[in-house]
Amino acid sequence: MRRLFLLLILSVVLVACSSIECPIENTVAVNYAVMKYQDGEEVADTLKDTLSIWTRKSDGTDTLLYNRGVNVRSFQLQISYTNPQDFFVFLVTDTFNVSTIDTVWVSKEDIPHFESVDCAARYFHKLTNVRSTHEAIDTIIINNSSVTYDSSVKHLYIHFKK
Amino acid sequence: MTRRSSICTFISRSKLWLVILIIFHLSLLTSSAQGFLKFERDTIPFFRGFAVSTDLVGLAQMQLGDHGQYEAALRLNLHDQYFPIVEVGYGKANHEDDEVTHISYKTGAPYFRVGVDVNIAKNKHSNRIYAGVRYGYTSYKVDIDCLPFEDPVWKNKTFFNVSDVPCSQHWAEVLFGIDAELVGPLRLGWTVRYRNRLSYDDGGLGNTWYVPGYGSQDTSNLGATFNVIIDI
Repeated sequence: MRRLFLLLILSVVLVACSSIECPIENTVAVNYAVMKYQDGEEVADTLKDTLSIWTRKSDGTDTLLYNRGVNVRSFQLQISYTNPQDFFVFLVTDTFNVSTIDTVWVSKEDIPHFESVDCAARYFHKLTNVRSTHEAIDTIIINNSSVTYDSSVKHLYIHFKK
Repeated sequence: MTRRSSICTFISRSKLWLVILIIFHLSLLTSSAQGFLKFERDTIPFFRGFAVSTDLVGLAQMQLGDHGQYEAALRLNLHDQYFPIVEVGYGKANHEDDEVTHISYKTGAPYFRVGVDVNIAKNKHSNRIYAGVRYGYTSYKVDIDCLPFEDPVWKNKTFFNVSDVPCSQHWAEVLFGIDAELVGPLRLGWTVRYRNRLSYDDGGLGNTWYVPGYGSQDTSNLGATFNVIIDI
């Protein structure tokens, strides 16, 4: 009987234990990979120029998302919760201090994502289209359209002209 | 996706083994020399009647918290040794405007579990010690609302609102329990259960929080019932 009583106490302790398991990686962002074609195959590349990226907030002011990256092989940009299309201004400055500006438009569908009442609500996204101007950017294509907490996925492949 | 570690995460990893070890240990201690799965040879008839029961833990959860369940069970008594059982209930949750996340979650649906308990006590014809298994299923709909929240970069407000999202879940439970005669046909007993999802449809939301009959997903996989039982 004493053994059963101890078992009951242990059981109650274990049953009472609860934990809030919100994801640690809770950033939903688009990962860009700089690529090039080599011998007919698409391989990773490095952008030698300096890259800065802006977007425009809902109040009409600009905000800097990526500041003066050099030797860029990949980078990550935030994605809006519910705008049907985000646009970004890419400023590429070469070693002779000559700047080139491109605009990138990313269209998407927004998917509400729920973990628990204890975890903040988020949106996941499905990329539906991407296009750009072509001053410094050669092409930009969707590699993986599903934007979630998974930061290891390369969503967009971007090719620069030089 | 990486999950936050805590002492409870460590406990939850070891829970399954703990429950299995307890059941195995008790079955070794208490099973008769005739074997675990054989009927005892005695003068007690094979069919010993029915029992109906209700769970007070789910009722208390419902009254004291924002989720819980009303549950009743019908159990056959085969020679005081095997107890096929059907448990039916109605589980609901109404979590309104969480003070941190401002999320409201609402659901309510019936559920059922079927299974069998085995009396592993040495003397099977008085107080009982059970090891048992259950299969459970529920089909439910959830409403989730979140107060408008701000996009951290673009600064525009957005809100989160889904309603009547159809979800379902199959799950299994292993349990350990005891019950004892109180007076006449009235018995009291409790069970501790380890639950595990077999398959589920979360309606494409990523996850659901409270599942009727299963409990909330963010607590441990262990559950408990405290039963008032009437032998018929």
